[in-house]
Amino acid sequence: MSRIVLLAALLFCLGLAFASAAQQKCLAQRGMHITLFGGVDDPDVLVWDSRDRLVSYGAGSTDTRRFLLPHAMLNRPGTQALVQSCIGGIVHQKFSMDADDAIGVLIMSGKYRGRYGWVTSSDIRGKGIPEAAEPW
Amino acid sequence: MIRLPRLPRPVLRGAGTLTATAILAFALLIAVTGALTTRHAINSSFAEQMQIERAQLTLERMLKIQLDEQNYVRAYVITRDPSDLDSYRAVTAQFEGEHDALAAILQREHLADALGALEDYEMAHRDWHTEVADRMLQRPGAAVRELEKRGKMLIESQSSAARFIEQRLEGRNQEVLASTQSQIDNTLYQRMIWLVLFGLIAILLNGWRSRLTSALEDERLTTQTLQRAFRSEHVPLPNCRIGSAYGAASSHLAVGGDVFDVHRLSDRLGLVIIADVSGKGVDAAVLTAFIKFTIRGIALRRRDPGFILQEFNRAFPRTVGNPYLFVSMFVGILDTWTLRLDYASAGHDIAFVRRGKDVEQLAVTGPVLGVMEEPFDVKTLYLEDGDMLVLSTDGLTEARDSDGNFLEASGAMKWIAEEGTDPALLANRLIERARARSNNTMRDDVAVLAIGVQRASAIPPKRGSETGSTGSSVEAIADV
Repeated sequence: MSRIVLLAALLFCLGLAFASAAQQKCLAQRGMHITLFGGVDDPDVLVWDSRDRLVSYGAGSTDTRRFLLPHAMLNRPGTQALVQSCIGGIVHQKFSMDADDAIGVLIMSGKYRGRYGWVTSSDIRGKGIPEAAEPW
Repeated sequence: MIRLPRLPRPVLRGAGTLTATAILAFALLIAVTGALTTRHAINSSFAEQMQIERAQLTLERMLKIQLDEQNYVRAYVITRDPSDLDSYRAVTAQFEGEHDALAAILQREHLADALGALEDYEMAHRDWHTEVADRMLQRPGAAVRELEKRGKMLIESQSSAARFIEQRLEGRNQEVLASTQSQIDNTLYQRMIWLVLFGLIAILLNGWRSRLTSALEDERLTTQTLQRAFRSEHVPLPNCRIGSAYGAASSHLAVGGDVFDVHRLSDRLGLVIIADVSGKGVDAAVLTAFIKFTIRGIALRRRDPGFILQEFNRAFPRTVGNPYLFVSMFVGILDTWTLRLDYASAGHDIAFVRRGKDVEQLAVTGPVLGVMEEPFDVKTLYLEDGDMLVLSTDGLTEARDSDGNFLEASGAMKWIAEEGTDPALLANRLIERARARSNNTMRDDVAVLAIGVQRASAIPPKRGSETGSTGSSVEAIADV
C-alpha cells in the first residue's frame, strides 16, 4: 500500500514538473508589461472577454468568428497591457500547424483601459518577448 | 605420334573485339539514355518550380490588392476624395483574375488543402467587401468601430488562409527541389555504378586480350624459332653455288610449313629437298623439322629419291595422325662431280632448271605425300656448267597482283630467266619481286633454293637429256 502511495506521489511530482516546464515555455510571464500589436497588415488587436472564446475564434470558421465577434474589444496598436496569466500552446489557428499561447491581460491604456481580456501571443510585443516573424 | 598443343584461334580474338564493341555500344546507349532521362526530369522539375514561383507571386499580388483595398477605403472615409474610390475599384477589379490564376495552379499541383484555404480566403474577401468596405463607402461616418472590428476579423481570416497557402506552396517547392536533387543523385550513383561496371569489364577484356596477344606472340616467336632452327642452312657442295631466301607472310598467323634442305650425303653426293606442308602455324613449322630429319635419315640408308619419298609417305600419316595434312616435296640427289641429278617430286611442281636464258619446269613424278601410298618415279637430269636448279614453294607462284591474279609457274619461269647467274642474288630477287607483286602483303611464306653448278675441274659430264625410270627399279647412285 505504501508503495502505491509512494508511486502516486512520484507521478504527482513528475506531473508538476512537466506542468512547470510547460508553463516555462509560455511566451509571457505574469506581471510583464507588454504592448499590443496585431501585425503590419492590420495592427489592431482583438481582446477577448474569455479564454474559451479566444480559442474558439482562432480555430473557427468565418461564421463562427462572426458569431463570437460581439465578445471582442478592438484595441489600437500600441495599447499597453499587463500580463495576468499565460497558458502555452492552446490557441490553434484554422490553417496553421503551430499553436499560440493564450495570454490573460489587464489593459492599461486606450479606450478599454482597466478591462481584463485574452489575446494570443502573436499579438503582443515587449521586453523579453522574442521578435515575432513580422516586423513592426 | 606428334601431338601439338592447340592455341587460341583468331576467331576468339574476333569474338573478343565484337564483345568489346557490343559492351562499348551498350555503355554509350546507357549513357545517352541516362543523360536524356535526367535532362527531361530536371526540365520537368524546373518547370514545376517556375509554376510554384508564379503561384507565390500571384498570392503576393492578391495580398497587396487586399492591403490596397483597405487603405483606399480608410483614405476615402477620412478624406472623402473620389480618386480613392476610383483607385479602390480599380484594384478590386484585379482580384478576380489573380484568384483564378492561383486556383488553376493549385489545382494543377494537386494542392487540395491549399485550394480549400483559397476558397476561404476568397469568401472572407467577398464578405469584407459586402459587410465592411461597401458599408463604409456608402456611409463613411456610421458605426466605424463596429465595421473596423468586423473588418479586422475578416482580414485575419484572409491572412490566416493566405499564410497557409504560402506555406503549402513553399512546402511543395521544397518537395520538388528534394525530388530534383534525388533524381540527380540517383543518376549520379547509377552512372558511377555503370562506370565501375564497364571499367571492370574493360579491364577484364583488356587482360584477356593481352593474354591472347601474348599467346599469339608466343606462338609466332615459337614458330619463328622453330623455323630458324629447322630451316635448312645449306651446306657447301662441291662445284655448286647455293643461294636461298625465305620470305615470311605478312600476317604472323600465316607462318607456314615451308622447308628446304641441302645435305651432304658424301664427298660427291648432295641431298636437295624442298617441301611445303599444308596448314599454317606451329603445327606446320614443327612438321618441317620432322620432314627434314626423316628425309635425311632415309637418304642415308638409300640414295634413291623415289624410295625416299615412298618411305616418307608411309611414315608420315602414321606419325602425324592428322588425315587432313599433306606435303608436297621435291627430293633430289645431286652428284656434284658428274652433275647428275636424280629427283622425284611429290606434287611439287615449282622446280625449275635454268640453262642460259632457257628455263624448264621439272615434272611432278607422283602425288602429294600423305594422301595415298604409291610408288614415285625417279627422273634423271644432267646439268651443265652454268645451269641452275631453282626450287621454290607455292608462295612464289601464288603471289597475287593487285587484281588477284597468281603469278603461276610461267611467271616464275620468266622471272628466273630475267635474273642474273648468282644463286643467292636470284633467290633474294625472287622473294623481293613476289613481295612487290603482292603489294607487301604476302599471304603465304615463300622459300627459294637456288643451286648453280660450275665445275672447277674438267671432269666431263655425261651428256644426256632427262631420262625417266620407275621408282622401284631405279638404280641408286653409287656412292664413291
